[in-house]
Amino acid sequence: MEDVTNAAILILNFLFVPGLTYGCQLALGALGVTLVYGILRFSNFAHGETMSFGAMICILVMWWLQSLGVSIAPLPTVLLALPVGIAATVLACLLMDRWVYRFYRRQKSPPVTLLVASIGLMFLLHGGIRFAIGPDDRVVGDGARFIFNAREFRHATGLSEGLAFKTSQGITIVVTVLLVAALFWFLNRTRAGKSMRAFSDNEDLALLSGINPDRVVMITWVLTGILATIAGTLYGLDKSYKPFVFLQLLLPIFAAAIVGGLGNPLGAIAGGFVIAFSEVSITFAYRKFVAYLVPESWEPEGLLQLLSTDYKFAVSFVILVLVLLIRPTGIFRGKVI
Amino acid sequence: MSFLSGEHMTGGYGGGANILEDCTITVDRGEIAVVVGPNGAGKSTAMKAIFGMLDLREGCVRLDGEDITALSPQARVRKGMGFVPQTANVFTSMTVEENLEMGAFIRDDDISETMAQVFALFPILEEKRGQPAGELSGGQRQQVAIGRALMTRPQLLMLDEPTAGVSPIVMDELFDRII
Ligand SMILES: Nc1ncnc2c1ncn2[C@@H]1O[C@H](COP(=O)(O)OP(=O)(O)OP(=O)(O)O)[C@@H](O)[C@H]1O
Ligand SMILES: [Mg+2]
Repeated sequence: MEDVTNAAILILNFLFVPGLTYGCQLALGALGVTLVYGILRFSNFAHGETMSFGAMICILVMWWLQSLGVSIAPLPTVLLALPVGIAATVLACLLMDRWVYRFYRRQKSPPVTLLVASIGLMFLLHGGIRFAIGPDDRVVGDGARFIFNAREFRHATGLSEGLAFKTSQGITIVVTVLLVAALFWFLNRTRAGKSMRAFSDNEDLALLSGINPDRVVMITWVLTGILATIAGTLYGLDKSYKPFVFLQLLLPIFAAAIVGGLGNPLGAIAGGFVIAFSEVSITFAYRKFVAYLVPESWEPEGLLQLLSTDYKFAVSFVILVLVLLIRPTGIFRGKVI
Repeated sequence: MSFLSGEHMTGGYGGGANILEDCTITVDRGEIAVVVGPNGAGKSTAMKAIFGMLDLREGCVRLDGEDITALSPQARVRKGMGFVPQTANVFTSMTVEENLEMGAFIRDDDISETMAQVFALFPILEEKRGQPAGELSGGQRQQVAIGRALMTRPQLLMLDEPTAGVSPIVMDELFDRII
């Protein structure tokens, strides 16, 4: 019996909690992609770099705060920097729209033109970010590292398998829940939010109802900036911040948005968790888990890992291809690309 | 001087051929004007042109003496115009009630009275107020579409094939109320 409990704790510790955290981060990223797609009707490839930009500003402000000796321990200092990061990123989004996207929108360019423009902005942002903060790995978290660690857990329960819960994981989950609740309240309860949904549903009819498209677009970029900054910072807090990572992160984020149904916020969240749990559970080494459950003599020799973590991005890619083949609208019936 | 006039309107979709060729429409205040023609004659196109959803190559549109040719559709709504298009005339993913709310988007005052009037006109909508408009029957959708346009209390209401699929009794009632 104790072996079964240990096996369950093992899964909880190395698969469920990390998957949940990663899923939250992907969900927030995918929400930004899906909002832009729903309103502006193009896939924003610069979204990963927008996240990176927001996280970078937060880190720069965090360093400054740390140099002043400001601290909110046990919570990480970077949380204090979020408002500044959000403001800067929203401004950056609005400027990108003003200088690039608006031109193509007025020309009534096809979505693919906007998509290519966003790829251009992606490289521009990426270069700028590397120039500003450097390509190195940065540790973002300070304050208490764990809410409870594996040793404390073993002590308290007497089990041989430990369960740790990092502060960054707790923060990620709490912030995601609050942010998603606020976003859905905004979209479903406020007039501005409803006008966004109306615009996404039927652009012509929204115009006929007197909804101002420029305002809807502006609100969309504000929301995108908020979501991107928080998603990027949470990811950096949980792992570490490295500009290069956000280029790779684009694939699972788009996979999440598409799997859930592009343009559908609920789908983006579901998609985020589908991708995260698939990735974590396929690259997980099940050897120890199986060892707990079978007699000693049957203990497996290999790692029992379906796919090496080096190939984790292949998981998103395969899921993406399967969804596009079998159900192009995604789980929640978004728009067909 | 007529209330609404589209004068010598010429234009088509995108860069394509002219669909409207020197088309003139005038309507007086309190008048009901009807445009009749075979399928594909350009009736819907003319209405879109009046509402600014089509770039005119020539001609102009006047409302109450004012030249509104350069105004965007959303600006024309604020001038008191309302339009129910022939197709895609409801927000399918939003509830009946939200559709009506969006119709009243430009209003800052209390809309509950107007909404009650619309529900009195189309009782079925009150029953289905919480249901997404995309899940209604064709005739019911048409009622949502007209209700949405009525929510701004427009001075000028343009209906493209309003009777399509709606029972004659309901339509009779509607026209009685409008007049
Ligand atoms: N979005 C569009 N793009 C290009 N051409 C269009 C478009 N909509 C309509 N047309 C063309 O314009 C012409 C007039 O169409 P319109 O919809 O105005 O006709 P209608 O008089 O309203 O017909 P119906 O009685 O069938 O509603 C048709 O030849 C049609 O092919
Ligand atoms: Mg027509």
